[in-house]
Amino acid sequence: MFGKLYNWVDSRTGVQESLEEALYENIPGGSKWRYVSGSMLVFAFMTQAITGIFLWMNYSAGSQNAWASVYYITYNMEGGALLRGIHHVMAQAMVCLLPIHILQVVIEKAYVKPREFNWWLGLVLMQITLALGLTGYLLPWDQKGYWATKVATELAALPPFVGGYIQKIVVGGNEYGHFTLTRFFALHAGVLPGLLVGFLVLHLAMFRKHGITAHSSDKRPDQMFWPMQVLKDGVACALLFGLVVWVALIHPAELGPPAEPTEPYGAARPEWYFLFLFQMLKYFDGSMGWNNEFMGAIVFPGLLFGFMFLMPFIARIKVGHALNVLMIALVVGGAGYLTWEAYQEDNYNINNPEDTESAAFKKAAKFHAEVKRADTEFELIQELVEDYGIPLEGPLALQQKDPYTMGLRLFRRQCASCHAYNATGENERLAIAGPVIAADVEEPMGAPDLYGFGSPSWIQGLLSVGENGIGSARYFGNTSHSEGEMIAHIRDTMWAEAESEEDKQNLAGMVEEVSWALSAEAKLPYLDYAANQDKIQSGIDHLNDDTLGCVGCHNYKENEFGYVFTLDNYASSEWLTTMISDPNQIYSEDWGTYNDRMPAFHSEATKLLTANEIELLVRFLRQDRTLLGTSSAKVNPLATAESSEEVTEEESAE
Amino acid sequence: MSETNDSSAEESRRGFLGSFAAWAAALVGAVLGVGPVCVGVYAFIMDPLRDKSKDLPKKSRGSGADSEGFFRVASVDEIASVVPRRFTIVADKQDAWNFIENQAVGSVYLQKSETGDISCFHTTCPHAGCSVAYEQDSAAYHCPCHNSSFKLDGSKLEVDGSTNPSPRPLDKLDVKVDDNNNVFVRYVDYYTGKHDQIEK
Repeated sequence: MFGKLYNWVDSRTGVQESLEEALYENIPGGSKWRYVSGSMLVFAFMTQAITGIFLWMNYSAGSQNAWASVYYITYNMEGGALLRGIHHVMAQAMVCLLPIHILQVVIEKAYVKPREFNWWLGLVLMQITLALGLTGYLLPWDQKGYWATKVATELAALPPFVGGYIQKIVVGGNEYGHFTLTRFFALHAGVLPGLLVGFLVLHLAMFRKHGITAHSSDKRPDQMFWPMQVLKDGVACALLFGLVVWVALIHPAELGPPAEPTEPYGAARPEWYFLFLFQMLKYFDGSMGWNNEFMGAIVFPGLLFGFMFLMPFIARIKVGHALNVLMIALVVGGAGYLTWEAYQEDNYNINNPEDTESAAFKKAAKFHAEVKRADTEFELIQELVEDYGIPLEGPLALQQKDPYTMGLRLFRRQCASCHAYNATGENERLAIAGPVIAADVEEPMGAPDLYGFGSPSWIQGLLSVGENGIGSARYFGNTSHSEGEMIAHIRDTMWAEAESEEDKQNLAGMVEEVSWALSAEAKLPYLDYAANQDKIQSGIDHLNDDTLGCVGCHNYKENEFGYVFTLDNYASSEWLTTMISDPNQIYSEDWGTYNDRMPAFHSEATKLLTANEIELLVRFLRQDRTLLGTSSAKVNPLATAESSEEVTEEESAE
Repeated sequence: MSETNDSSAEESRRGFLGSFAAWAAALVGAVLGVGPVCVGVYAFIMDPLRDKSKDLPKKSRGSGADSEGFFRVASVDEIASVVPRRFTIVADKQDAWNFIENQAVGSVYLQKSETGDISCFHTTCPHAGCSVAYEQDSAAYHCPCHNSSFKLDGSKLEVDGSTNPSPRPLDKLDVKVDDNNNVFVRYVDYYTGKHDQIEK
């Protein structure tokens, strides 16, 4: 039955003849395991084409959509993570197979006469493969891909006269935007694979024309391609696929935070297989005149490629082949060395933990800090996406309303040159290092650590002495207040007067209560004021009775004789907004230790931050993650535990 | 049957391009093959090169710059003394088919010298286009990509143990201050990787 059907089909299509032609290729010396690299490359490309088409069905090019669609593929789509993972890992496998295939061809002398054209076609295929890697890196439109690819397109402008035009054509205009993505995507999914298929067909046709390079011997008789070599190829490809799937499962393809053109990413690196080119650029510094960037990025790699192009001719001279092998080994070895060196530079701080003062250490530490920052930003946007979904305007619109993401950025840019934000515990990801203060600095520089500002523990530290007390770097140690009245009072009066252990414990208890009372002024959303009603009430009493000597200088509620800022509403939203916008509205010129350096960020004269940015910063400092545009939850610290429960019940009843 | 054999034999004797019909067929084939490609490639190449300033909608503020290309960036009070501060250039922007208002289109470092002179540097590293960052502990600008570093005055800084591949100092931009203490910067992008400053 099957035989009859087959004959019917064959007589009309000639399928038998085609199959025979395809499969009955003679292999001189028989099938070998080492012939599998070419088939593996073809298989890798087929995998890329297939997974690529399915990724395409879920991908949308464009600045608002690209990241969102890749996020969907990776985190929501059924089987999406595996699909993208395989595409991502197989691309790297393909780049690993390329030098193996090339080395093999060179060592076995398969590039010389009469196979010149096949060698050249192979070189073209290699270029297309690398171009596919480069264009694919940008498509997720995350910070890493965006800033790394930017360097690549900057290099496009290097050639004299035409460089600028080339850059504009590649980028699709003067700047990165929609057109950069649509162009890269068309290249990645259309033009380059199309070219690859075309050149691959020619490559295989040439291969069939000239056959395998090996010679027959008596020991190893010839074999046909079918079935032994096909089996070996198949086993090798199956192993490759298995390995790729395994890696894709244990190392899912990464996605960084969405590309933000105004937030430079300080750890932009190309995909690892381009790192040697990245590293090489550092050496072309123009110090010898000729060794400028154009040489390093275009001419030198071009010359190497030109050399490879000429290798079949070089092989005609006596030691030519040996020279070629040496050269290829040098190129592969050199690329390997540069890649290693690039990793060494970026990991200098990990490999040399004691050398903290060197420039190399600082640079590597900064690189790692940036990587960590990107991880945190991704974590934050992932939480936002899970909570609110991605709006039509894209992920950036969501990010720009988030007090945590924006607070981190704004604090880093505007506050961290003086203040630290040493977040700990579950908030550790929000930590921002403050200024590095050299030991020999004469003038005070640096300001209090603002993590937990307004919380009882923060205020308690402010009202205590010792390692983390008011005189330490965490508070006023590095400010002009280090010799001021406040510190003098806390250290030389309040704590100095508590002599016995019992006195000290009493004082510590009162300090804690006062801290709760002051924190109640801040109305911080993350604190359980209701459960600490008693402490708050005692603290208020201490303040009113002036037990600790606070209201001698500060105003508080009924006390209006103080001459420095009032403690009413201390660290509340309004207070912080004023403090950041125009600190001199809170500080007064009358007291000895006035505000000597905190700038006004939004006053008549200065608009360093917009009102929205200040609101984001205020919410960040208060650990209040309500999105901008939504009014933050009202906290009533004087509500008792029972009544606050009632409120929750009422709310849930609604 | 025999007739066809004769004529095909004759054709092959005359060679591939031996007759007018053969030339005509080759020409038509070439036009058919190349024509669509030309149309596509023309649009692909020419559209990015055209002046797109007219794409901005009529009711937008335009580029946000005055006739000489100066953008208002800050007020004098906002610029810290000696320590550079980063400012963004805000303008309306056309990205392909979208119009976006008040977009940050670039950024600069502004600093005041001890004598009060204001200077301005582009944040883009002249080497390969990464963004330089000012670092307080070394009082210098550092690029996170290929080890370029720059002093406070923008000139190249050689750091021990690494090369500085930048072909030129940081790009200095023109600054002007009006009577109301507004600071204006003539913001332009320069091609990176070249010894001379060439405007994009």
